[in-house]
Amino acid sequence: MDVILLFFLGALIGKYLFPLHFQPVLEKLLMFFTLCLIFAMGVQLGQRENFFAELSSVGMESLLFFLLPTLGSIFVVYPFSRIVFPNLKKKEEK
Amino acid sequence: MLLFAIIALLAGILYGTSGLSISFLDLLSAQSNSILWVLMVCVGISVGLHHGLLAKIRAYRLRIFVLPLGIIAGSCLGGLVCQLLMQNGLAESLAITGGLGWYSLTGVLVTELSGAHFGSIAFFSNLLRELFSFFSIPLIAKYLNYPTCIAPAGATSEDTTLPMMIRYTNEETVVLSVLNGVLCSLAVPFLLKFYYWLG
Repeated sequence: MDVILLFFLGALIGKYLFPLHFQPVLEKLLMFFTLCLIFAMGVQLGQRENFFAELSSVGMESLLFFLLPTLGSIFVVYPFSRIVFPNLKKKEEK
Repeated sequence: MLLFAIIALLAGILYGTSGLSISFLDLLSAQSNSILWVLMVCVGISVGLHHGLLAKIRAYRLRIFVLPLGIIAGSCLGGLVCQLLMQNGLAESLAITGGLGWYSLTGVLVTELSGAHFGSIAFFSNLLRELFSFFSIPLIAKYLNYPTCIAPAGATSEDTTLPMMIRYTNEETVVLSVLNGVLCSLAVPFLLKFYYWLG
């Protein structure tokens, strides 16, 4: 919930306070903090006790349980999204 | 960006397993929540800079539910196929996939209800889903369409995967992504309970 509130706080700042000419700086900050977050996730994973042992014992099953539902979501959402959100297309079409 | 993201993830795993202690990196990894908070404000600012967005989103009305319902249905179908292939229990198979990427909650709940083995699968499969979302967003944005970028992210589309969303899609998709994340996150505990009741 806290992240949602911060998102809306940011949206208010962007709408009423943030100078438009700082947008390039904002984009660089976004990229920097995204990489920091991914790094931190990696560290937390690596510090997990028996990370590699656990991964090798349930790795293949986990892979299957991740891949099929994720692909399932993409295959179901894609055709519907083309009908419901016709204005939101892929990158080249814009 | 994608290459940098892969390097950052591998560097993080290496650093975490190495047992090294560099104060700046320790601080960085311990403050992942704070980083996420700063990111959320930045993403919010980026969205707020685009005026007239809320009116556009309001115009979608009930169509807003298409994304979370599609994600839940697709995940459920995937879970059923997994069950057929692995011959696990129906409840466990559906519950693991019902996490929609929320690995911390699903890992704990499935461990409590089905034991450590299924709990570990729930944790890793949902974690892989979140990591995959990071890296698939640029490709889905290029080859499919913007709203489909939200599909692999599932319940994480309101937080951790949002920075990639703002970089590779547009502000309208980002707002849809937040709404989808809220709805999916709300649905996860109910889905897990329902799947265990069903199985």
